[in-house]
Amino acid sequence: MAWEKFNPNLAAHDLVQDMKWDPELRRQFKENEAAVLDRYPLLPEERKAIEERDFRTLYDLGMHPYLGGQLSRFIWGNDAGKGAVEASNKLVASLQGHSRDIPKS
Amino acid sequence: MAQIVFAAGAPHAPAIVGLFDKAPDDSRKVVTDTYAAITKELRAAKPDVLIVFANDHLANSRITFYPDFLIGTAPEHSGPHEWFQEWIGCRNYTAKGNPAVAKALFQGMTRRGVKMSVRDENLKFDDNISVPVTMTNLDQTDITLVPVLQNCTVPPFPNAERCFEVGHALRDFIEKDLPAEMRVALFGSGGLSHEPGGVKYYKIDEEFDRRFLELCAAGNHKALLKEITVDRMEEAGTGGTAEVLSWFPVMAAIGERRGRSFGYTGWPSFRCGVGGVIWDLDTKH
Repeated sequence: MAWEKFNPNLAAHDLVQDMKWDPELRRQFKENEAAVLDRYPLLPEERKAIEERDFRTLYDLGMHPYLGGQLSRFIWGNDAGKGAVEASNKLVASLQGHSRDIPKS
Repeated sequence: MAQIVFAAGAPHAPAIVGLFDKAPDDSRKVVTDTYAAITKELRAAKPDVLIVFANDHLANSRITFYPDFLIGTAPEHSGPHEWFQEWIGCRNYTAKGNPAVAKALFQGMTRRGVKMSVRDENLKFDDNISVPVTMTNLDQTDITLVPVLQNCTVPPFPNAERCFEVGHALRDFIEKDLPAEMRVALFGSGGLSHEPGGVKYYKIDEEFDRRFLELCAAGNHKALLKEITVDRMEEAGTGGTAEVLSWFPVMAAIGERRGRSFGYTGWPSFRCGVGGVIWDLDTKH
């Protein structure tokens, strides 16, 4: 991602930071994602990209990649081994629009 | 006049803890050699306080209200923060803080025209502080810790030139403001090339990393400023490689010293280039 696209005003940044700081919010996100997303003033296209796990669009809208990477771990896994690796792989696949060239380990 | 007795820079990539066992032998050796040397020489230097410049990965402040340098003045520094525990895979720790030095640093840098911020509470540490503290078992020593969390990722962040200015002010502060005979260690925690959360998540820029380590070990500040620009860092990995800026205040504070490196690995699954430098404070070239 190029920094010229970076938009610090996106509500998705607050969503990710709040989830990072609040285990209860993470639990609610797993249980009822839409209800959590309802609480944030997300742009329609921003919300759609989160719902569709479309990180390329999120980054094109200006999401910070660090927080995008953390969002991928809320969704796909956060442990030091398998989970976070799977999250990285799926994130990169989304950014590339395909799953080629991604190491298995 | 307080004295700088130790200075080093090394990456804190969580995978060097979490994926260590899965790494090839030569990559594990680089991690082990680097942090073993840092651990040994840090202890041998017998510092009273270790000031760590480390990157804040948006763990402590809103993206819309983001300090360039955030000093932790708490009496103790515990981590990793709850959500990062599983991800980093390191043990919990509590290192002794040094509120007196931390507050003096804030005042001293303010007087020297460097805007920093402070927080009294335990900051939320991810790999930035947790990896170096647990890899060196700093919490099992009497060395006190002053964390300075640096903005290397939310644009615009202080560039190489500004980080050098900060380092020069830091040296002046250490020499003039801290108690005589105090022994100070400095550590830059961050880098090398990586692009966390980006399309190049698994790409490492080995050429950048090797040149950066070479220039750091040569103590060649002029070439560092000329070649290791923010643009070149971003080219080597957007949003992550600029973490090497945390080494710059340390290098500027000690002046042009030669250093030693302990090998380099660009194993892709670490998702970060790995190699460190310890500077030799006894000789000047």
